[in-house]
Order: sequence, then structure tokens, then C-alpha cells
Amino acid sequence: MVAGITGVGGAGLNQLAELYRQQVTSGQGAGGAGATEAVNPTAAVRAAEQRSSDFGNLVIDSLGKVESLDKTAQTKAIQAATGDLTDVHDYVIAATEAQTATELTTTLRNKALEAFNEIMRMPL
Amino acid sequence: MFDALGISGTGMRLHRTWLDAISDNIANANTVRSTSDEPFKARYVVAQSIENGGVGGGVQVAGIELTKDASKLAYDPTHPLADARGMVQLADVDLGEQMTTMIMAQRGYQANIAAVDRARQAYQAAIQMGK
Repeated sequence: MVAGITGVGGAGLNQLAELYRQQVTSGQGAGGAGATEAVNPTAAVRAAEQRSSDFGNLVIDSLGKVESLDKTAQTKAIQAATGDLTDVHDYVIAATEAQTATELTTTLRNKALEAFNEIMRMPL
Repeated sequence: MFDALGISGTGMRLHRTWLDAISDNIANANTVRSTSDEPFKARYVVAQSIENGGVGGGVQVAGIELTKDASKLAYDPTHPLADARGMVQLADVDLGEQMTTMIMAQRGYQANIAAVDRARQAYQAAIQMGK
């Protein structure tokens, strides 16, 4: 479990967060260009832009939280290894928090992806 | 985000400190001192709730207090620490009380573990709902 959490954390989470950030900024850029081309962007387009950036920010925020929780768990793991950990349960609780937060974020991402795929499968 | 885990963690820390204090009391149950010194006094952990205006932030150790009971004198003229009248001071620890208190501290620690486990199960169930 320790190896799993530390494996997800650190550089891996940073890369994920960066990927989402790029997607969101590129998405906003395309939306902006579309808005300048069209004389009157419809309210639906604007609402869609708003929604997509909101979800992106939500994912970025939760990834940041997951990362900080994961860092705490990692620090506790190091303390346990070096013998500086005074409370054994501190590490277990930190690891549980990090694990639950990671699961929550990945579930949210999977759900969003599923919804997106459902829309893509729509026959036009 | 997962407050219940942290709150139960503070409860576990308090009960761990309590167990430490009881262990020290039991370890020193036979500590004898001369009548010119202070006798060994049993340690008590003072618990204090953490108020944050909401559901609360758990519990913390406010301090360690010593028992205020009178010292127990014993007649033991052969003891190296005995005074001119042959008296020594025994540790002010009631072993029976310490053992029952230890059960309370242990049960409290286990109760907090159960709370952590239930909270984790609830969070997991919420995540499973979305899968």
C-alpha cells in the first residue's frame, strides 16, 4: 500500500495536474477563438465554456489536495522508517486520507470520461 | 475533506498518551524514596476538547497532573534510603486503580480505531456509489 501511494504521488500527480491544466487552457483558447469568429456567441456556447472550465478547475483543485495529502502520508512513512514517528496511527490515518482522496478523484474523472464517451457515441 | 479521520486521530493520540502515563505509573509502583525527598506521584493526563465553533476538532492533552494524595510512609530500617527513624516513602500509586484505568484507556483507543474504520467505510461506500 505504501509503495502504491508513493508511486501515484510526487512526479506522477504533478504530471497529471499539468496535463489537465494544459487541456483546460487549450480548451479555453479554442473557445475564445470561436467567440471572436462568431459575431454573436450563443448563450449555450458560453454556458458550455463556463461548465468545462469549472470542471477542469475542480479536477485541478482536487488533484492539488490529493497531492498535499499524499505528501503528508509520504512524510509520515519516512518518519516511520527513520524512527521519528511518535504516533503509529498518524501514518495509517494519513495514508487512509490520501488513498480515499485519490479514489474519489479518479472516480470523478472516470465518471466524466464515461459521460463524454456517451455523448461521442450519439448517432448524428 | 475527511474530518472524521483527523478527529479520531486526536482521540487516539490522547489515549496513547494516557497509556504512556499509566505505563510510567505501573513501572514506578515500587519506586522507594527517602523521607527528605518528594515521593513518586502517579501521573494523570488532563484532556481538553478542541473547540472550533463547529462540530469540534477533537481532543488534546492539556497537561500532565500529579496526584495530590498524601505520601505513604513505611517502616524499613534495613533499607539504604531509610532515615534516622527507619522510615522510607513508598510510591503513591494504586496498582488496582492503574490497571482499571489502563482498561479504560485501551478501550478508548480501540473505540477511536472503530470510528476511523466506520468513517473510512462510509467514504468508500460513497465512492462506490459513483462507480
